[in-house]
Amino acid sequence: MKIFAKIQSLDRRYIYIIVALSIIIPLLIPFNSRIDTTKPTEDVYQMIDSFAGKPNKAILMNFSHNASTLAELFPMEVAVLRHCFERDVKVFTLCFMPDTAPLVDYAINTAKEDFPNIKAGVNYCNFGYKPYSLFLPILLGMGENIAEAVEIDSEGRKLENLPIIEGIKNYDDLNLVIDFSASSSVFSWVTYARAKFGANVAAGVTAVMAADNYPYLQSGQLIGMLAGIKGAAEYEKLVDVFATQQREFSKEIIKEEIVPITGDHPIYGDKIPYKFKKARIGMNAQTVAHLMIIIFILLGNIGYFANRKKGGKK
Amino acid sequence: MTFEMISNTVAALFTLAIFSFLYKENPVYRFAEHLLVGVSMGYALPLVYKNAFIPFVYRPIFLEHKFILIIPALMGILYIFRFSKNLSWLSRYPIAFGMGIVGMGVPMSMNSSVLVQMRTAMLPIDSLNGVIVFIGTVTILMYFFFSKAHKGVYGKITNIGIWYMMVGFGASFGYTVMARISLLIGRIQFLLGDWLGLIK
Amino acid sequence: MKRQIPLMIVIILGFLFVGHTFIPHKYSIDFYDWFISWTKAISPFAVALGVMSLWMVHGTKVTRKAPNWQYSLVTLVALVFTAFAGFMWGTNEGTPFMWLFKNVQLPMSATMFSLLAFYISSAAYKAFRARSPEATVLLVAGIIVMLGQVPIGAMISKWIPETATWILNVPNLAAKRGIMTGVGLGMTAVSLKILLGIERTYLGGGD
Repeated sequence: MKIFAKIQSLDRRYIYIIVALSIIIPLLIPFNSRIDTTKPTEDVYQMIDSFAGKPNKAILMNFSHNASTLAELFPMEVAVLRHCFERDVKVFTLCFMPDTAPLVDYAINTAKEDFPNIKAGVNYCNFGYKPYSLFLPILLGMGENIAEAVEIDSEGRKLENLPIIEGIKNYDDLNLVIDFSASSSVFSWVTYARAKFGANVAAGVTAVMAADNYPYLQSGQLIGMLAGIKGAAEYEKLVDVFATQQREFSKEIIKEEIVPITGDHPIYGDKIPYKFKKARIGMNAQTVAHLMIIIFILLGNIGYFANRKKGGKK
Repeated sequence: MTFEMISNTVAALFTLAIFSFLYKENPVYRFAEHLLVGVSMGYALPLVYKNAFIPFVYRPIFLEHKFILIIPALMGILYIFRFSKNLSWLSRYPIAFGMGIVGMGVPMSMNSSVLVQMRTAMLPIDSLNGVIVFIGTVTILMYFFFSKAHKGVYGKITNIGIWYMMVGFGASFGYTVMARISLLIGRIQFLLGDWLGLIK
Repeated sequence: MKRQIPLMIVIILGFLFVGHTFIPHKYSIDFYDWFISWTKAISPFAVALGVMSLWMVHGTKVTRKAPNWQYSLVTLVALVFTAFAGFMWGTNEGTPFMWLFKNVQLPMSATMFSLLAFYISSAAYKAFRARSPEATVLLVAGIIVMLGQVPIGAMISKWIPETATWILNVPNLAAKRGIMTGVGLGMTAVSLKILLGIERTYLGGGD
């Protein structure tokens, strides 16, 4: 039983080394694994895709997080932007925290690099950073008139003068708001934009927040959700399988398709840049790390019960 | 060495400086931590100036001559008295003005987080899962009713609520583990991929 | 009077907003437009609070030469330099401001939170114990959700992701709905207390 006592008193720094290795090794030796898409992610994809090529429809991406949760939210933001750019969906971006403003630019620039024809003010428009005290006024104001509520974009240009705003007046046209968040900020969109104006709201959340959103998904207050790095990986796959091929969504196709990340596939080959498969590469490490944590829990409990039994005998 | 490589090296060194805390607290970590606080706050000033002061104060008052807006602008300046011993009461005015919108929050949040949820919970329960959800919701609500002692039959019913909550917390726990691991994956992807170019 | 007038402002504006929510009359809309234009003009000044608070904490440490005051100096210099870079060269892509963000703020902020992965792993090993039947249920549900999220779950058995989805959609949903309804009622009560002038802590201390 000595071994169990030893297990219990293992220095935390050895555990840290094991954690680091369980992530480093699968990242260095990538392998193709199956990412199955889930309904909340598919619902977001399908709604955005239904706006493809429609000049009188648009989506709004609200960035409600700072750099601390970038690893989970950035890949989904890039994937959604890529979807919009591939399928000609008008997209607006907005944030209410100063240290989020550069993240919005970073996401747009990362996705845009591969689309030379996509132009600011025409295909997308960054509303930029607005002080948090204007969160509710702008959220509610967009229900009446977006150009008046937001006034200027991140470059200081009057919104009413931009070609992208033609045909987009309020939530009737800006028909989907996705809140990318590490907090409960999506509830404000549900509470006001959904309840007062009937806007469709979706969430792109860190996994910590995901379980809390299920009541909203069931009630239809949220039309869909991307949950953590898994949600990002699913969306990356959906964009690769459908949007880049200019295909309509199909449940049968997505079920069968495995998009390899190691680049030996006749359709996708090496075409998928690293930045567009980041979440899927991350999922490999996630698999190993989850197994490691489960082993930790089991080992810790075996040690605990063995010691307790020993203590009980005494 | 290109400019991008130098930039990535700087970012990687700061990343490693923060990771050094895992071994133990050290001066390099403390330096990085304090730098982060300063830099984070430093962002706000130019961004607020460009995105809020110019369009909402300077432009309407000085270019469009909407002089009435001088009143709220002066009210905004009262914020700076927050830290004054004798004049901090002046900062209550801009705070109070902003709080007014709470009036809209009462009916709206009641609608979203209570009424709509209740309505969904009361939809025709035509499946086994529907029954399970219904029992869970009701027993948890009863658990949070503290005006009655959780004893006897009532205690047994609220106990069912506890089991539901344990499953709910378990789900949150599983997702939380996933979230934390993802954040570390992001940093290691940066070190191995963006910096060292080892991930293709 | 120092407290009563701000309270009156909250109560009057609050009730006007309750009315605005239900009555889409022209006066109601005019009131709303007026409120928004004033809120916008007030908004830029709120940032002063954060900067002043930080400045006072670290400034005092530096002037008093408190232990480790050198670190506080780092914070102050970083604050001034970042703000200066933004005012001087702008805040767009390619500016020193953006460079600072991408290579200083972003990596450190992201890394700071990634440390939690190490702590949660250590806690998994040392603290997550099935001490009671309730804790066992929590752990089992957690493990199933964890496995259900990664590809290996489906490779072990197709039941794992299906069970994980069921847990999230059924018992988890019931639990979160119950908790959320309680929180929703609580929030409504707090909002009402603010509206009626019973809750006043947001105005700060003093008379």
